[in-house]
Amino acid sequence: MLARRTLACVGSQPSVLGAAPTNARNMATLRELELRLKSVRNIEKITKSMKMIASTKLNKAQRAMNSGKQYGAANAELFQNSPSEEPAKRKLFVVVSSDKGLCGGVHSSVSKATRRVMAEQKDLDPESPVMVIGDKSKAQLSRVLPKNMTLSFNQIGRDVPTFADAAGVTDLILKSGVEYDSITIVYNKFVSAISYEAATIDVVTENALKASSGFKAYEMEDDVTKDVAEFALANAIYAALVEGHACEISARRNAMDNASKNASDMINSLQLQYNRGRQAAITNELVDIITGAFHLVISDILH
Amino acid sequence: MSSATWRSHFTFNRYSQICARALRQSLKESERVKAEKRGLTALRYQHWENGQGGEQVYLVPPEGKAAAGAK
Repeated sequence: MLARRTLACVGSQPSVLGAAPTNARNMATLRELELRLKSVRNIEKITKSMKMIASTKLNKAQRAMNSGKQYGAANAELFQNSPSEEPAKRKLFVVVSSDKGLCGGVHSSVSKATRRVMAEQKDLDPESPVMVIGDKSKAQLSRVLPKNMTLSFNQIGRDVPTFADAAGVTDLILKSGVEYDSITIVYNKFVSAISYEAATIDVVTENALKASSGFKAYEMEDDVTKDVAEFALANAIYAALVEGHACEISARRNAMDNASKNASDMINSLQLQYNRGRQAAITNELVDIITGAFHLVISDILH
Repeated sequence: MSSATWRSHFTFNRYSQICARALRQSLKESERVKAEKRGLTALRYQHWENGQGGEQVYLVPPEGKAAAGAK
């Protein structure tokens, strides 16, 4: 082993571009490790700050959600007393998600739920229109259900959704002239700060309300019935938007928390590897120098 | 009530948004600033035909910028 080492070091100098293969490989790996370490450190900083931002936004979003859900609850009594007589054949699906990513499985949860609901109901019209709020779900659903997509919205969800957003969406839906028997809103329901699940809200249309026997007890004029149906839709969309927004923020907080934890684990293991590599390189250089010096001394003594 | 003519021009939602805007503009200055935030919407929409998205249009065009961004 010593003879081989001597042969190698007589004609070599330990350097960055290293003639000896082991030295060169160590240096290259060390350089790579250093770069990787630097980039993972940056990523950890970024994900940590995103988590902080999401935590602060979560409080506001949750408060808005609690007060916004009351709007959805207002519809409940009306719909309970005047249920729809015939099952709806052609449903309009309104899918509520948002434009931004890095929030876990929020968007795909809503897209999958839409496809599941469409597949489960046997007598559903396969050309049931689908309208999507949010670019992420729009991209997913436009690949899977291209023929059903009629309208899409974006720029909602940067801040807490307002009733103005919901009213705007409702008016566009009504103005688009799409035909449907009832409306199903698909959104993410806030179960807790660490979990959410996809849920649906059914909204009855004006014609279905008029046809329902329970509704006759209310004795409403036609004009007002139309207003009630439109307002009920806006309420339901607003409740879904606000709850979906809260789910997205909590999912982003959790995702960034996991990412930061993973990044700090990676930093620890990479740091250990780097230290080991650095110490091995130093040890090798020392051995080379000492062996070289040793042989010089020996040859001085012998000659 | 039934002689209201706004019904032929826009929906009840639009009617309530207009009333809300009037109410917000009549508030005291500090309250008005808080309330204005609740009336903001930057909504953009696009129609889809046969799996192809149309042009994206702002519902309320923002000040001083071109409205549509084609996609």
